[in-house]
Amino acid sequence: MAKGVAGQRAIIRALAVGAAAIAAAVIAVLVWSRPSSPSPVVEEAQALPASPRPALSVPRPVRLRESPGAAYWASVRRDVSARELASLRAPTVTRLVRTTPEETANIVLVLGRARDESGRLWVHVRLPVLPNGRTGWVPRSALGGYGLVHTHLVIDLERLTATLLRDERPILRAPIGVGKPAWPTPEGEFYIRNRLSRYSSPFYGPLAFGTSARSSVLTDWPGGGFVGIHGTNAPELLPGRVSHGCVRLRNEDILELGRLMPVGTPVTIR
Amino acid sequence: MSDLTLGELDRDGAIREAVEQVSGETRTAFLGRAAVGGAALLGALAAPGRSEATAASDVAILNYALTLEYLQAAFYTETERFGAVGGELKRVPPQLGAVERAHVEAIKAALGRAAVKRPAFDFQGVTEDQSKFLRTAVAFEDLGAAAYKAQAPRIKSSALLAAAVSIHSVEARHAAWMRYLAGATPAANAFDQGKPESEVRAIVASTHFIVRHPKSTASKRPKYTG
Repeated sequence: MAKGVAGQRAIIRALAVGAAAIAAAVIAVLVWSRPSSPSPVVEEAQALPASPRPALSVPRPVRLRESPGAAYWASVRRDVSARELASLRAPTVTRLVRTTPEETANIVLVLGRARDESGRLWVHVRLPVLPNGRTGWVPRSALGGYGLVHTHLVIDLERLTATLLRDERPILRAPIGVGKPAWPTPEGEFYIRNRLSRYSSPFYGPLAFGTSARSSVLTDWPGGGFVGIHGTNAPELLPGRVSHGCVRLRNEDILELGRLMPVGTPVTIR
Repeated sequence: MSDLTLGELDRDGAIREAVEQVSGETRTAFLGRAAVGGAALLGALAAPGRSEATAASDVAILNYALTLEYLQAAFYTETERFGAVGGELKRVPPQLGAVERAHVEAIKAALGRAAVKRPAFDFQGVTEDQSKFLRTAVAFEDLGAAAYKAQAPRIKSSALLAAAVSIHSVEARHAAWMRYLAGATPAANAFDQGKPESEVRAIVASTHFIVRHPKSTASKRPKYTG
C-alpha cells in the first residue's frame, strides 16, 4: 500500500515537471515571436532607392523560324579541285577558282557534307560547269563562310514565266523571254552566282543576274556561255522564245526581282 | 580550365587548325596577327553614330555588345540549322541561339539607326564539328560575360546598366552550363575579371570568324548569252 502511494506521488511530480516545461516553451515561443526592432542593416536596406527600369527590354527567346525553302551557299576561298567523292583520292570533276569572269567571288550552292576516313570535312556543292547539273565535293577549308537564302526562283519554259518563291510561297511572277529552239535555255537545277548593275548596255537592261547554268550550244561564247537573267530593250517580245538562252524580263520586273532575290538563290529551270 | 578563352582554345588546335588550313600561316604569325589585326578586322565594333537620348560612349558600348551578340547568335543559329551536334549538346544551339537572337533584337531596337550592321561570319567548320563547337561555346560565353563585366562600370545611364546586367547574368549562366558540359569547373574563381574591349577584339579577331562579305556584285558589262 505504502509502495502504491509513493508511485502515485512520483507520477504527479513527473506530470508537474512536464507541465512546467511546456509552459516555459509556450512563453519562450510567444516572446521570440514578438516583433523585434529592425537591425541597422535592415533599416539601411529599406532606405535604398528602387532599381531603375532597364533601358531595353529583353524579349522572350527568339526560336528559329521554320524555313522549308532555306538554302546555303559559300564562296570559294582558294582555288581547289572539286572531286566526285569526299576523298582526296577521288577523281577531279573540275577545278574551282576564286573569282568569276565578272570578277565577283565565285560561289557554290551547298548540298550536303561528309567526313572522309581521316576526319576531314567535305562539302557537297553544285558546280557551274558543263554538263549542267554536275555536283562535286570540296574540302570545307577551301570555302568561306556560309550564306543563307530563303528564296527560290522557278523558270517555267512551258508557261514562259519566272516565279520567285520565299519560304516556298510565290512573291513575284513575271512573263519572260527564253532561248530560241536553236539556243535553248538549259533545264535543271542551278543557282544565282552574281549580280551586275550600273553597266552601260540597253540590251541587258538595268540589271543582270549571272547563273550557274551554261548554254550547251554556245560553248565558245565570251565568258563561257553562262546563262543570265536580265532586263531588255525589247519588252514587246515578251513572253516569247527570243533569246540565245538567257532569261529576259521587262525592266520593271528585273528591278523588282533585284529587290527581292539575293545572290545564292537556287534556280530551277523546267 | 579556370579562364578559358578563344586564345587558349588555340592550344588545342580548334581554331589554329582551321586557320592554318585556310591560310597556311604559322602559329606564331597567327597569334601575332591576332593582336595586330584586331582593330582592323573588327571595325564593326566602332559606333557609327550618336543617339540623341544616349551618351556617345553608351552607344559605342551598345554597338560593341551588339557585335558580340551577332557573333554568338550566328554561331548557334548556324549550328542549329546544320544539326551537327547531338547527345546532351543537342539542345544547346536552339536554347542559347534563341536567347542570343533575343539579345540582338533588344539591342538593335534600343540603338535604332545607330546600330551597326550584321557582319559576315565564317565559322570554318566549327559549327559542323561537335567537339570544336563545345569548346568554342565555352570560350564565347566566357568572353561574353567578361566583356559585359568590363563595360558595366563605364555605362553612364543607370537604366542601360540595369539592362546590361540583366544580359550579363544570362551570359554567365550560359558559361557555367557550357563549362559543365565540357567538364570544366563552372565557377573556378571567387571573383571574375572583366576583359577590356581591346583584349576582346584581339581574341575575336584571332578566330577569323568575322569576315568581309564576299563580293557578289559588279558593274561590268554582262557577257551572258543574251
